[in-house]
Amino acid sequence: MSTAAQRFLQDAAIKSADLLHREVIRRGMDSYDAAHLKGRARIKDWEAARQRCREIKREAINHLDRYLLQFEEKVIARGGHVFWAANSEEACTYVKNLATRLGVRTVVKSKSMVTEEIRLSPALEKAGIKVWETDLGEFIVQLRDEPPYHIVTPAMHLNRSQIAQLFREKLDPAIDSDDPVDLMAVARRKLREAFFAAEMGISGANFLVADAGVVAISTNEGNGRLCTSVPPIHVVVTGIEKVIPRLEDLAVLWPVLATSGTGQGITTYSTLIGGPRRAGETDGPEEFHVVLVDNGRSALLADAEQREVLHCIRCGACLNICPVFRHVGGHTYGTTYPGPIGSVLTPHLNGIKEFKHLSFASSLCGACSSVCPVKIDLHHHLLQNRRNATEAGATKSSERAMFRIWRAAMGSPSLYALGGWTVRKSLRLLYALGLAETFLDPMRVWNRYRSSMPLPSESFRAKWRKNRAASSS
Amino acid sequence: MPQAQAEAQTKETPSENSSRDRILQQIRAGLRTVVPEPPALASDRVIFEPVANPLERFQQECVLNLMECALTADRAASARQLSQVLQSLPEGEIFVQDDPSLRQLIEVAAPGRPIRWSSQGAPAEASQATITLADALIAQTGSILVTAGCGGRGASVIAPCHIVYATVDQLVPDLTTALSRASRDGILDRNSFACVISGSSRTADIEKILVQGAHGPRRLVVILQRES
Ligand code: SF4
Repeated sequence: MSTAAQRFLQDAAIKSADLLHREVIRRGMDSYDAAHLKGRARIKDWEAARQRCREIKREAINHLDRYLLQFEEKVIARGGHVFWAANSEEACTYVKNLATRLGVRTVVKSKSMVTEEIRLSPALEKAGIKVWETDLGEFIVQLRDEPPYHIVTPAMHLNRSQIAQLFREKLDPAIDSDDPVDLMAVARRKLREAFFAAEMGISGANFLVADAGVVAISTNEGNGRLCTSVPPIHVVVTGIEKVIPRLEDLAVLWPVLATSGTGQGITTYSTLIGGPRRAGETDGPEEFHVVLVDNGRSALLADAEQREVLHCIRCGACLNICPVFRHVGGHTYGTTYPGPIGSVLTPHLNGIKEFKHLSFASSLCGACSSVCPVKIDLHHHLLQNRRNATEAGATKSSERAMFRIWRAAMGSPSLYALGGWTVRKSLRLLYALGLAETFLDPMRVWNRYRSSMPLPSESFRAKWRKNRAASSS
Repeated sequence: MPQAQAEAQTKETPSENSSRDRILQQIRAGLRTVVPEPPALASDRVIFEPVANPLERFQQECVLNLMECALTADRAASARQLSQVLQSLPEGEIFVQDDPSLRQLIEVAAPGRPIRWSSQGAPAEASQATITLADALIAQTGSILVTAGCGGRGASVIAPCHIVYATVDQLVPDLTTALSRASRDGILDRNSFACVISGSSRTADIEKILVQGAHGPRRLVVILQRES
């Protein structure tokens, strides 16, 4: 079995050379870039907005216990239920048991990355419950039996003709248009049946508002609205870090999230839900449950350098701007959260040993940190993760041996000179024998995609001495 | 269901949720680590341009949000406007929030239309339109704030067209004002649901191309009356 790191390298090589993929992503990112810049220009002081959002999240995270308890108390007082899940298994079991106990056969889901993280849908399907993803992008990747490609736009790697083909195969062979309007209409008709048949709606949450005791859910399509209005049971599955102190905080968080996510001034439906349907209300679920998922998050609080990773509002901006993401694509990461935030977070959630390679899937250019609306210092965290991996002994013994040799050579000029001479001579011999790019060539990875590097005739130090002598004479 | 409900209630009391205390303990232990805090934001920084003319701003934002906003002088003009909108829709039942002001309006504007009032239950899936009031209008983002009290949750999302009847004095300049008022008035203690709606439902999930009318309404119409 190949390791996650080997799979990453293989998939990255394939995706970077996939011209159709490059074209689809380039077009998607171009239109995001334009919308994002326009959206940012509508906010008078963008830097102040980022700073404010950072402060809100910092206050929330620094008093996480207090705000979560405040939220919980309000929800319970209104007849809702709050379940604290230490890990994926506890969260899935809770939802599955609830569903079986209440006789649920069909579930409609709106977008939630936490449910992807805990693998909720497979757990429910195993119990014989049909799960419908209702966000158009999620619906598309569900039909393809694929994880979401991107945390905000799950199907951005597909073009309209691929989606039309998919719909013909899976939904209706008579579909003869690939116009996005018609494709949306097909999905709407299909999912309407699901909304009105389902006994349970599952949503995520963008924020948990402590003082008001409500969950805030942002959706454009309205699927999140239907999931939380029509079925008799509503379950929210979300991470403990989503809490914010005050309702008024949304006055800046909502616009900043929308601007960073899609370039909109505010998401079309910014919904607040605090409990089950109250007496006298026209409609709404009779049951309201919030599942607060820890799954490794609380351990990050003790990390003085990286606690701020919990500030993330999952806007996707760092994915969109990342040159690595743009080349290798979302699926290559092989993680629930791709891109810079995923590369930082995954080693914490799923183990540094298996996922340390992600810290190197970055040019450390810092573009991610420069766009992050809560000012997470993402690229420095990648650097810290590299160090952490080494300190945790997660490096290969061959790598450690190489660095020991390197250190010895760097500490001794004569040893360094000897090393340089040996490498120059042996490479020259190797290339003269026509063995370039074979497994004997230590430069083969470099040379594979480039014209081979010319070998210098003498060492840098020799050149330096000569130049100095020439200029001083 | 009631029996199952009772069971659920006894089963999930916090004390029986064994992970709750462990998670809280771990959180508290983690928070003992001190993280240095950078200086706070200078208080004189203004994040959003203040809204000078709420009505004008609201109308501009409606255009950007692809929603229709018709400014009317008085109740009679609003009724005419409503009847025009309804005539542009297919035959069939409409859902109306059961409120005296809407009852009066409907009498004039929609004679002969089959009507389902919110007091009779949630809107039918096949409703042609829903008509509701709003709690407030927000100029900054061109939004309407609805609560469960505005005909329920489905009233703003089930039908292909949502019509909102509001008056100019319901306008607030920005989100901060709307949310602090909601807090102060305990709107979320009286309603299980509230929503800031900024346009009709939409998606850009296919090639980032904007499609209006996703799972919710294709049209959001605000009839905005000067006289209250
Ligand atoms: S790390 Fe920042 S930019 Fe990336 S998804 Fe989270 S909030 Fe957005």
